[in-house]
Amino acid sequence: MSELYISSPSAIRSDLAAAQARAWERIGRPGTWWDATARVAIAAETRHASVCRLCRRRKEALSPTAIEGTHDSLGELSEVVVEVVHRVRNDPGRLSERWYRGVVAGGFSEEQYVETVSVVAHVVAIDTMARGLGFDLLPLPEPEQGLPSQYRPASVKAGGAWVPWLEPADVSGAEADLYPSGRPAANIMKAMSLVPDEVRGFFDLVSHQYMPPLAMRDFSREYRAISHSQIELLAARVSALNQCLY
Amino acid sequence: MTQSRNYDLKAVTGAARDDGGVPHGCLLVEFAEAVLGEDEEALTRARATLGEAIGPAGLADAAGVVGLFNAIDRVAVATGIPLEAEKAAASADFRATLGVDRFDVDARA
Repeated sequence: MSELYISSPSAIRSDLAAAQARAWERIGRPGTWWDATARVAIAAETRHASVCRLCRRRKEALSPTAIEGTHDSLGELSEVVVEVVHRVRNDPGRLSERWYRGVVAGGFSEEQYVETVSVVAHVVAIDTMARGLGFDLLPLPEPEQGLPSQYRPASVKAGGAWVPWLEPADVSGAEADLYPSGRPAANIMKAMSLVPDEVRGFFDLVSHQYMPPLAMRDFSREYRAISHSQIELLAARVSALNQCLY
Repeated sequence: MTQSRNYDLKAVTGAARDDGGVPHGCLLVEFAEAVLGEDEEALTRARATLGEAIGPAGLADAAGVVGLFNAIDRVAVATGIPLEAEKAAASADFRATLGVDRFDVDARA
């Protein structure tokens, strides 16, 4: 997988191609709360969501809850998982805590929810970049055998987000590496800490597809082929289009 | 936005169609909008124009940033994380100027 872009005539940094290869491999491995078959199915559903007629009708409606129906899905996942994948993929700006509480009450554990969001995010990050460059989408990985670890950090608790998270002050042992030392952990780093391996995996991708934490505010030099100000303009415009204040 | 330079933040909301003080800012915004949009011809044009302006390595990094933020926004909104207090205080003025507080997690409740 390190030959991710080898056939593409592009100027993609080797460290970024390698980070995306690692991310792709992780999708094909057993996770913490989903096995690899489910993770790859979530990735496939993320892509398939773009042609969902229910999502399109909801997107055009004043409120997504005003439109009832069934998602156009690949049929590999339960309805509630499909609902999460499609809403996060197609209409993230109108997700609400009430909707989140509803899907969790519908038989979807908070841990599974976080891992699902993470898989969707990995696919969106890599597929959107490919679209930007005019590349074909990567074939999905083959799922590996194995069981999910079902590891839940002992110190997670309700905090400022909808999902429970791990506060830096409560981190110890297996999670000692989770947050940067010497400065406060941003909420975006805590967001998926209910499933620590998803934080590690996603922020490996963040460090290479965006910037490592220390580089973000180091204006003494540029780390990429575009400048800090160009990067932040792109980031801010994308976030505005996605209706994301964060 | 960064350093001690002046930037026109209206480019962020699409309210201004100029560079906003950022080199090739208008082309970058058009590229981001095209990648997230559905008009394939517009994307082909935006990609070619931006690539000509900033080169293939710049285009690759720009596409990476667009992809990454298209994903990280979803993590932020789907987990319901709030803006940190210090960031909220520091950004209050320009959030008000841009009218983006309606995207806050509490506003979505």
